[in-house]
Amino acid sequence: MQPVRTWRDAVFVIAFLFPALALLGLFIVWPAIWAFAQSLTNRSLTGPAALHPQFVGLENYRRLLQDSEFHASLGKSVLFVLLSAIIGQTVAGFFIAYLMARRPGWQLRFTPVFAAIFVLPLAAPETVAALAWASLTTGTPEGLLNRALSLVGAGPVQWLQQYAFPVIIVVNIWRGITFAMVFFAAAIESLPTSALEAAMIDGATAGQRLFRIVIPMLRPQILIFLMLTTITTFGIFGLVYFLTRGGPQNATEIIGIYVYKRAFQYFDIGLGSAASVVLLCLLLILGLYYVRLMKEQV
Amino acid sequence: MSRELSASRAHATVAPATQRRLGSQNLAQFGAYGLLVLLAIFSLVPFAWVVLAAFDAHATIYFQIPRTWTLQHVIDLFTEADGVRLIVNSLIYTLGATVVTIIVCTMGGYVLSRFAFPGSRVLLLGILLLRIVPPTATIVPLYLLATSLGFRDTYHGVILVLAALQTPLALWMLKGFFDAVPIAIEEAALVDGASRLRAAFQVVLPLAGQGVAAAGLIGFIGAWSEFLIPLVLISDQDKMPISIGMFRAWISYTQVDWGLLAALSITYMIPAVVFYVIARRALQSSIAGGLSGI
Repeated sequence: MQPVRTWRDAVFVIAFLFPALALLGLFIVWPAIWAFAQSLTNRSLTGPAALHPQFVGLENYRRLLQDSEFHASLGKSVLFVLLSAIIGQTVAGFFIAYLMARRPGWQLRFTPVFAAIFVLPLAAPETVAALAWASLTTGTPEGLLNRALSLVGAGPVQWLQQYAFPVIIVVNIWRGITFAMVFFAAAIESLPTSALEAAMIDGATAGQRLFRIVIPMLRPQILIFLMLTTITTFGIFGLVYFLTRGGPQNATEIIGIYVYKRAFQYFDIGLGSAASVVLLCLLLILGLYYVRLMKEQV
Repeated sequence: MSRELSASRAHATVAPATQRRLGSQNLAQFGAYGLLVLLAIFSLVPFAWVVLAAFDAHATIYFQIPRTWTLQHVIDLFTEADGVRLIVNSLIYTLGATVVTIIVCTMGGYVLSRFAFPGSRVLLLGILLLRIVPPTATIVPLYLLATSLGFRDTYHGVILVLAALQTPLALWMLKGFFDAVPIAIEEAALVDGASRLRAAFQVVLPLAGQGVAAAGLIGFIGAWSEFLIPLVLISDQDKMPISIGMFRAWISYTQVDWGLLAALSITYMIPAVVFYVIARRALQSSIAGGLSGI
């Protein structure tokens, strides 16, 4: 790193940074600010309110506060994040990684075959993942899951009608758990073995080794992964929308789908913007914590 | 087969000191590999239908072993106008966005790596913060922006939006890769009379080439897989990418050609998976590492 001393350097820096900052400014920062501005109007996608939106103050936020569907949607998002991203991916992924990671006297390698397979759920585009799960959870007796159920004499179950919310939770766990596992296994194996060996000699139990040594030493990696998957899961749209379109009866209307439906199906830009501002604020709070974690990393 | 192979390989690495506990170790390792196999099955099962249906002459939405295997769906996909158009559109959006991302982020990443200026640290952290803003949160104003600037239903509009979404991560990655190139190398070039521009492009860039490639691959995957942006910004049937074509086919439930849809899904999935595997290491280190020099 060198300080910018001359005009030549300054021009160079500005010229090289400008395209990236222009892209970010125009397509991420400005829309975020614009969302807030729109949320204070009664703008609609059609009709007179589309051409001449009026300033309505915090009216849209008042409507949000009173909208039971918004409360339900926010609640579903929180539950979705808690059960799939936090418990299903991070906690379960970490413990599986811990069970399998190398430690003194034990080495387990992910063979290239396993590594390639574990990449598939996350690497597949979300539309392919959703379509694959749609086939798996087909409600008729011919669906693969129902055929498996019929082996034990149960079913058939209308998965996406009766259990849509549990299904999307399982789908999101499926998408992230192997990635979490591979990520955490690498982190655990990067720990110095001396601390663990000393603890084993001192007679620490497996549980003590895990909670007193491994988890405290890996705290930054665990928290960073947790924040990233939490943030990503709050922002999920396509995976769920493709599968259920938010239904049945709003059962899977997580916040991203709420925003999309209000703005583009009910043409209520003001309310949709207000809801996206709420989502944005939530993500920025999580994001600021994430940035702080990354700063501490160095 | 691979399971036995890997198990025996793991055996060989058991340290002598723990030989006496080999019995329980064996059991534990057997259990661990059993868990791995279960997870592998869990990862694979949903894709079984996609793969089989793509080659099944009588494909349905259900998983079934084809009675008549066929390549017709794949052939149809690449010969019929609709399928080709989706693939070409996806390639236009994705390659366009990837090229834009690489160019702007190579330039920006180089400057962020080499220069300290007032606010550069805040700028870096701000870019990191932008990484977490999903299109879900900005899609409404993006739609209004696209309408007022007139880039709805245009290739360049979607390309620029997709590039912007890939920019925060790519900038960070490239800054990290440039940080790894010793500054002495370009200082030598500068002393030899090369201009700053020449030093950057002819000396540093080739050394960071792998990083540029990795950032490009990751940007490609992101843009290739995007669903919400084209769903909202593209309504012209002739300009739809694969993700939207798939969605359109899927919601016309009763008249779906399942074999063709499965063949399209596989075609759509292959580049994402292949690039992901190639860039996997860079992707994983981008989560927690690659942050030196801040």
